[in-house]
This record gives sequence, structure tokens and C-alpha cells, in this order.
Amino acid sequence: MSVPSGQRSASRRALLTAAPAVLLVVLVIGAALLTALLQSLGFLPVFGEARFSTEAWADGASLLESAGVSLYLATASTALALVVGFLVAAYALTAGRGGRLVAALSAATIPIPHLVASGAIGLLLADAGFLARVLGMPEGFPQLVGDSWWAAVILEFAWKESAFVALVVLGGIGRPVAELTETAATLGASARQRMLHVILPLARVPLGVAGLVVFVYTLGSYEAPWLLGPVAPEPLSVRAVRLFGSVDLSSRPEAMATALTSVAVALAVIGLGLLLTRRSRRRSRAQSGVSS
Amino acid sequence: MTTVTKPVPSSRVPERRPQPSARRASVSGWRRILPVVLGAALLLWILLPLAPVLLWSVAGQWRAPAPLPGSWSSQALESLLSPEILQAGLWSLALGMSVAVAATTLGALAAFSLHRLPRTLSRIVGFLLLTPLAIPPFALVMGANVLLLSARVPTFAAVLIVLTVTALPYTTYMFSVALASYDWRFEEVARTLGASRVRVIRTVRMALLAPAIARAGFLAFLVGWSDYITTVLIGGGQFRTLPMLLGSSASSTGGEQLTAALSLAMILPPVILLAFLARWGARGRISP
Repeated sequence: MSVPSGQRSASRRALLTAAPAVLLVVLVIGAALLTALLQSLGFLPVFGEARFSTEAWADGASLLESAGVSLYLATASTALALVVGFLVAAYALTAGRGGRLVAALSAATIPIPHLVASGAIGLLLADAGFLARVLGMPEGFPQLVGDSWWAAVILEFAWKESAFVALVVLGGIGRPVAELTETAATLGASARQRMLHVILPLARVPLGVAGLVVFVYTLGSYEAPWLLGPVAPEPLSVRAVRLFGSVDLSSRPEAMATALTSVAVALAVIGLGLLLTRRSRRRSRAQSGVSS
Repeated sequence: MTTVTKPVPSSRVPERRPQPSARRASVSGWRRILPVVLGAALLLWILLPLAPVLLWSVAGQWRAPAPLPGSWSSQALESLLSPEILQAGLWSLALGMSVAVAATTLGALAAFSLHRLPRTLSRIVGFLLLTPLAIPPFALVMGANVLLLSARVPTFAAVLIVLTVTALPYTTYMFSVALASYDWRFEEVARTLGASRVRVIRTVRMALLAPAIARAGFLAFLVGWSDYITTVLIGGGQFRTLPMLLGSSASSTGGEQLTAALSLAMILPPVILLAFLARWGARGRISP
């Protein structure tokens, strides 16, 4: 089928309008990934001669360990952020004025940078931090900053990202759900029942999308694990930045190998996430088709 | 599985049936307490991390077991007016505003084009513009750094380029959402009334899309304002922004007062901007 020439020139003009943004993104990302790959293989050295080498990739064990730490942090933080974010959204939809207050305060924390939040969580949870002082410095106060469970890091991510999750859920299900919960309430459903049987089923898709975004974000985030995590083992971000800034310029290929590993992990997670959301969307569509 | 189309069946609400009065009292008491407990817990979760920041920013001496500072001082807040910190604030402001202008303009253009392109092409372009979300920022910065340095791009411009790429998915998305419900007939009416193309864009399109411009601009501003890793890795200390000062203060022991004061200096401008945008947005909606 032939396309009318007017339409073709319109889409050519539209392409030209998008060109600055697309070219910028493609050039910067393409060049960044290519440079990282070449440097990880010994080309484009900071100084000295280029020499092909897979040495930077040879220490697979420590790359895997870092990837493991990153995945652990992302999994734990995302799970906690989803639970708290859902509670904030559900409370906002069921608790009237109090709910709106919680939703507004939670949304107000979104512009707070992760670096600031990491500093704040540090002041709160450190050994002689605010929380320990308020509790009267009890004997068994656990070590939360720099501990082997990365507690402060996970809490920082969850604190920031739960507000994001709540925002996405509220934006995604919004007003129709408020009406449904009111109906459920007049039928005598308790707050817990409204949350679990009305809001949760509807919030599944927004929760999935928000969860994927949070997971990929925390996977590549640097500030919180750097400030609040233990010295070793390192997640991919901390390892890469340390090697990149190292005085020993020969560690540059390793930094790039670490960066590329993080890209590969992020892409794999996104692929898996999209596959799962598509499948669950299809399933929920099939179910609602049967039920209606 | 509960279906989403029906309200909760009334048979799942045992509390409505006649019950022994003692049990009913405990159930209804629990019912009343649970939301209060949950609300208090959520408020605590949201506000608790901010408490030490506020207290430390005005603390003089605050020795370990004391739950509150022993003495108060405005020294840390006053130190925000030191030339070094003011200059860092200006750099952050410049970076935030530059990213806002660049990413909002490019994002708006891209969203318009996504709207007009045939479906397949629009999907491909839209996908390409989302890719920055998938690449961990530090990985993007490291690779881009080598290229930008060898191309002798000035440091500030290099940071701006990378951050604009980071912000583009957000701004494009914001405009795409706004355009989905945009009524093109207003422009047609203005054209038939004899308005020029430029005048239509300025007085109709810009006015109708003002909320989207504000939202996209705010998000892009935040990307520049709060960036740490890009400025550190590419800027390499050539210009010092507020996050860099905060990073070095928070990573060293002691100096809690300065960390807290710098945190406030980073939180307040975006919050003020957000409040301003919200008020302005609300007024815009009320007035015709």
C-alpha cells in the first residue's frame, strides 16, 4: 500500500523534530557503552599502548560477588518500598483527612535527593545516632550503618522509594478506587478488608511497574551504599566508582568491566520484568473477561 | 482470586452479623485502633529521618546519650552564607536550570514528534528515548567521560550533556502524557481566527501546556540540582556543587551540623519551587 506523500513528509518533519533528543541519547549512550567495552578490553588506555586483554574480566568471582550484593540491595529495598508505598497509598485512600495528610507529606519527600536522604539516615541510625539517643542508648542497639546486612542502605532506599511507589499507585488507580472503597465501607468492610480485597488487586499493575523502576534505580545507585554500607563487599556501583577514581590508572579496564556488568544486570532485570508484567496483564485481562 | 469488578461480597464481612457483645466490642475497638496505629506509624516513617537533620542544623553541642542538643547555635546555618557554599549553591542552581531548559525543550519537541509519527516509528523513537532509564548513571558517566574529555568539551557542558540525557525520559514522558489529552481544536480555532503560527504556539499551545512545562521543568531541574555522581566523575572538582560539599561532609566523621545545614540548603529550594508551582497551578485552574 502506498503512503500518501503529504503523510510521508509530515512524518519526516516529525522525525526531524525528534532528532535532537534522539541523536543526543543515541550518541551519548552508544559512545559510552562502546568506550566502556573498548577500555575494558585494554583499548583506549589512559596512557601507554593499547593492548588487547581480557584481564579486567578475569576476576569473575569478585564481579559476581559485587553483582550479588547489588541484586540483594535492590531486591530487599524494592520489597520494602513496595510494602510501605502500598500502605501509604491504601491509607491515603481509606483514611479521609489523615490519609490525605500522609499522602501529601509522603509526596513532599520525593524531591529530596538520595544524597541528602543518605546523610539523614546516617544521622538517624548511626551507633550514637538520633534513634539510639532517643531510646536511651540501650545495650543491644544493633549496628545499622556499615553492617553486614546493609540495613541503613536498604532503609534509605525504601524511605525514598516508598514515596515514589505510593505516588505511582495513587496516580494509577486514583478516583475509581476511592469510590469502590467507599462502597465496600458502606457494605461494612473494615479498613484491612478494603486494603487487601479492593485496593490491592487493583494496584497490582502500578505496583509492578513501580517495582521495576525502583529495582533498576537502586541497582545503579551509588550514594547510599557508599555512605552507609560496609567497606567490603562492594556493590557494583561502589566498586566501579572506586576503580575509576583510583590513582592506579591500570585499574580503569576493571572499572569499565564493572560498569558494563551493571548495565547487563539492569537490562536482564528489565527484560524479565517486562516479560512478567506482560504475562500478568494478560492473565488479569483474561480473568476479568471471565468474571464480567 | 478477588475480581476487581465487584465490590466485596457482604458475606466476607462477619462483623455485621449479630455477635456476642464482648467480641463485637473488641473487634470494633481493634477496627478503630488499627487505622490510627497505621497512620501514626506511617507519619513516623516519613518524618523521623528528617528530625535529626532539623535538630543538628541548630545544635551547638550535642553529646552522645542526650536525646536533645545541650546547646543551640545558628553557626551551621550562618556558614551556609560563606563564599564557598554560596558559590556551590550558584553552580547547583546553574546546573539545575540548564538541565531544565535543555531537557524540557528537547523533551517537548520529542513528545510532539512521537505524537505525530506513524505507530511503529513512534514506538521505536519512544523506546530509544527511554533507554537512559535502563543504564545505571555511573556506568553512563564513566563511558561518556572518556569521549567528552577527548573531544575537549568544557567540563560544565559535558556534565550538562550527560544530565540532559538522564533527564530526557522524564520530560518526554511528561509531555507525552499531556499531549494525550491535548485538544488540538483550540489551535485550529485560533488559526481560523487569523492567528499566525508563531502566535498560536505562543499564546495557545504554551498556555495550555504550561502545567506540563512546569512539571517537566521541575523534574529536569531536580536531576541537575541533586546530581552527585556525574559532577564528581566528570567535573573532577573543577566546579564544586552543593551535593559535592554535602558528600564530603557526610562521608567524614564529625561535622554533623554542617551536614545537616547543607541538607536543608539542598531540600528547601526544590520544596519552595514545588509549593510555588502547586499554588500557581491551582490558581491557573480556577481562573478562566
